[in-house]
Amino acid sequence: MFLRLLWRSMRGSRGRMAVALLAVISGATVISALLDLEFDIERQLTQEFRLLGANVVISRAGSAQALAPWQPSSEIPGSPSLMDQVPVLAQIERMPTKDVVALAPLLYIVAHIRDTPVVVAGTWLDQTRGLNPTWKIEGHWVSSRDEEAECLIGRQVARQFSVAPGTLLEMHYRERSAQVRVAGVFDAGGTEDSQIFVNLPVVQKLAQTSGDNQIEVVLMSIRGTSTAIGRYTQQLAAALPGYAVRPIQAVSRAEGNLLDRTRLLIALMVVLILVLTALCVLATMAALAMERRKDVGLMKALGGSISRIVALFLAEVGTLGAAGGLIGSIGGIVLARWMGHRVFNASVNARWDVFPLTIALMVGVALAGALPLRLLGKVKPAVILRGE
Amino acid sequence: MAPLVEIENLRKEFGNVRALDGVSFRVEAGEWIAIMGPSGSGKTTLINILGGLDTPTSGRAIVDGIDVARLDEGGLTRFRAEKIGFVFQQFYLVPYLTALENVMLAQYFHSTTDEQEARIELERVGLSDRVDHLPGELSGGEQQRVAVARALINQPKLILADEPTGNLDEANEQIVLRLLGELHAEGHTILMVTHAPEIGQLADRRIDLAHGRLARSPTVSR
Repeated sequence: MFLRLLWRSMRGSRGRMAVALLAVISGATVISALLDLEFDIERQLTQEFRLLGANVVISRAGSAQALAPWQPSSEIPGSPSLMDQVPVLAQIERMPTKDVVALAPLLYIVAHIRDTPVVVAGTWLDQTRGLNPTWKIEGHWVSSRDEEAECLIGRQVARQFSVAPGTLLEMHYRERSAQVRVAGVFDAGGTEDSQIFVNLPVVQKLAQTSGDNQIEVVLMSIRGTSTAIGRYTQQLAAALPGYAVRPIQAVSRAEGNLLDRTRLLIALMVVLILVLTALCVLATMAALAMERRKDVGLMKALGGSISRIVALFLAEVGTLGAAGGLIGSIGGIVLARWMGHRVFNASVNARWDVFPLTIALMVGVALAGALPLRLLGKVKPAVILRGE
Repeated sequence: MAPLVEIENLRKEFGNVRALDGVSFRVEAGEWIAIMGPSGSGKTTLINILGGLDTPTSGRAIVDGIDVARLDEGGLTRFRAEKIGFVFQQFYLVPYLTALENVMLAQYFHSTTDEQEARIELERVGLSDRVDHLPGELSGGEQQRVAVARALINQPKLILADEPTGNLDEANEQIVLRLLGELHAEGHTILMVTHAPEIGQLADRRIDLAHGRLARSPTVSR
């Protein structure tokens, strides 16, 4: 009988219920979308920040490379900033690799092309794209770190020497030289535009560093929050005594700040929407309580206890909140995906745990909005039945 | 044998207004009593106190051995559910429940619902073909018959009818009065408020009220 009464009373006030349901659905849709964003924001922002490229740099302790890893530090050979790549890379390989997006060693020299000095960076060209996802390239990337006949050149170098993809370049360093073909011309929007990138062995052979394994710096792009990156960096630093392993602070700090602010903004919006939804339900329920006074008076006259009568009304409101929360959660997925595309240009993953959370929030809000129903407890049947 | 209803020196005041002023009388089980008097004489107040809808300022109102004046809110609720069947002038059916559900509502507040029993009760008042209709789809007489079925469904000790025919046309009035007569014949105790002397004459006794007092000693009508 309880369910029968519940169904009938909800149908009996379907106009008011529809208004309250609409308010709950609207609130639940936005809240569900915001919660999806809240839970996914870390992944989205992390991906966004990984677009900025390398966020960890490894160099010899005390080297200036830790602060300016994209610049040659000194003339080679014998530079105090050089380090042996073997123990560093071996140690990195022993670390967990699932969050390593890309890594590459770097060795710089200042070579000459047509008697003009130009910075040449030896690296792993197959990692260049991963470390520099914002670079725009004309031509193609180099997919092998062993390819010694190809290079990538910055757009200023290309303009300076009037070269294009396919052009052969001859580089001279001291008494040695190397020929490389331009695979691609990149636009980095920074100092790299004045540099030539070749695979590491090319520079090591030109520089003739001791042991042919010398590098100046290792750049890494690590996926994760600034905290996770900091943790990874600490573990790596502990495993590499004598080396400086540092996160690139500007990126990490900006990421952390933006994440905190975005989360605060989302939390404030969720609270605001909850309050607005509760107020809307409250207004509807106040009107409903006035409308139902006569029914409540009659139910009391028939021997209905206040707990039974209020339970009926609370079930109505709870059903309203649950139904609105459920429908709104589904709407929230659509809204979250739309916002994800608009804000992050990426899909936001719907999370199943947002469903029960949204429904619980909406039931709570609906029950809070049902406060006027407590007035029904004060209804005097004799007064109501007298028509007052 | 103790009377079913025993009223002793009952008083009810609303601020400065004295609605009942020392009313005393007894009703034996199985009696049909007509409570009569002009508007404002205290008839409805008396019925409300006997039905546990209101509490007296002083005095005693004992129904089936229970002093209504001493019951708390919870006690009054159980009292209304178990001892009293109400029939109101305005019918007071829940508008969004069908005739059947209105009857079952009283069962629900009393104990458990029994749809078959509710259908039988509606059949008894001649509404077997209207059980699934909403009050808005029923005539005034039909609505009042639903109210009578609702009042009877829990087999109450006392039926309180406040102007049960006040809103009905003559044909429906006769139907409802015949129903009350049948209930009386079956042994139900009925206290009925009415203005109409010809309806009052149908009862076993008349209790006349004026200004909250008994206007004269209860008399035997027939």
